[in-house]
Amino acid sequence: MLEISNLYKSFGNLKVIDNLNISFSSNKIHCIFGPSGCGKSTLVNIIAGTMDYDKGSINGMVGKRISYVFQEDRLLPWATIDENMMFVLESGFEKSRGQQTIDKYLSLVDLLKFKNHYPEELSGGMKQRVSIARAFAFRGDILVMDEPFKGLHLEIKKDIMDYILKEWNKDDKIIFFITHDMEEALYLSDYIYIFNGPPLKLKRKIDIDIPHLEREESKVKLRAKVNDYI
Amino acid sequence: MKDSTIKNKKPLNKIFIFAFWIAIWQLVYFIVRQDIYVPSPISVFIRIRELVVLTAFWRSVSYSIYRVMAGIFLSIVIGLITAVISSINRYFHDLIQPLMTAIKSTPVLSFIILALIWFNSSNVPIFICFLMCYPVIWTNLLTAIHNVDKKLLEMAKVYKVNRLIVFKKIYLPSVLPYFTAACITCLGLGWKVSVAAEVLSHPRNAIGSNLYSAKVYLDSAELFAWTLVVILLSFLFELLFAKIIKKLSVRKTFRGKL
Repeated sequence: MLEISNLYKSFGNLKVIDNLNISFSSNKIHCIFGPSGCGKSTLVNIIAGTMDYDKGSINGMVGKRISYVFQEDRLLPWATIDENMMFVLESGFEKSRGQQTIDKYLSLVDLLKFKNHYPEELSGGMKQRVSIARAFAFRGDILVMDEPFKGLHLEIKKDIMDYILKEWNKDDKIIFFITHDMEEALYLSDYIYIFNGPPLKLKRKIDIDIPHLEREESKVKLRAKVNDYI
Repeated sequence: MKDSTIKNKKPLNKIFIFAFWIAIWQLVYFIVRQDIYVPSPISVFIRIRELVVLTAFWRSVSYSIYRVMAGIFLSIVIGLITAVISSINRYFHDLIQPLMTAIKSTPVLSFIILALIWFNSSNVPIFICFLMCYPVIWTNLLTAIHNVDKKLLEMAKVYKVNRLIVFKKIYLPSVLPYFTAACITCLGLGWKVSVAAEVLSHPRNAIGSNLYSAKVYLDSAELFAWTLVVILLSFLFELLFAKIIKKLSVRKTFRGKL
């Protein structure tokens, strides 16, 4: 469980987060939905620790490792795909185990044969898949994904989402998922948080209690439920 | 209408370029017809041939190389240390910044004359070379450190990558191109200012001292010969440095974007 209380964050005069109180339960996929610039990226950056906050408290983060799929690929341009993956594993893995992990996740995103290529040689979508593989290989306790499937083919997107549902959505993990794509949100999330702002305010929290595999059939109903609040 | 597109033709042959400028030199010589103003290329080459067999020539060249290298080495070491501190500490940066501006805009001759009072003649060129190269190294390295991709550093922070790996895998590759550029600039600049300092301080074994005596005896052929030697040395050192850097940063060539 992750609890955020009385959180404040401003950029100059702009109050991006103004007394936000929210909690996120473990073992769930939380989808964060809202217009561009409403402050949702600021919120996940604060959770991930890449941004400081002005006031407030975040409980449940001590000792937690974070896997982050950024909006951009953030790969080292001078290192091969393999070296890029190793970069985040090097501190915690032995070399041979690291190599196995890398191969496993590069296969998952269908990029194993590009292991020794440089990011410049890959298309935008392929680089994004490497970034996803890197986040999975690191196996953080919290997985943050900021529009991770932008520019990916439908098929590979479905494979990755199914993998998340099957392998990641357990062991006390918390998954944050920012997207503008309703289909993705309806397929993957347990909760959809609809925000507006700035300052970031929770407009509605929608609990999607239909099991993931049965969602296809109820998609129209679900869609209508969410659309009411957007 | 003729369909024409401009395409790069084959590059000019290096020997042709060399021959072209020698021909221009020869032409100027024919027009001026005064050896004291412009010696002929042939007489200069003969003079070089006479010089290279002398031990004194090699001694002067070696000592001058030593001075340039010592000056550049000092500027790299001190430049590196102060650039790193400046990037971390704002106060240190603000203190050192005006010094760099002052060094950059002060005529090199003012420093040479001052250095003549402060140091013995052999050390003056080292000091001058250091002083002129130092701001170049400092500025380039500082720019490089500031330009390290913040998003990559943020990624490394999220994934808790240890500092040594961050230094090796993010800082070093980002800074290296700026550092290389700074060193190449310094190699050219270093030769220029060191020889100028040698001309004024005339240490015992130095290219600059030989230039000075050539001037005193109005021996233009020798003046040209020594000048050519400086150009050649500066060129050779740049070439050598580029080769070393290339070896250090071996990276596969791209096989084309997919």
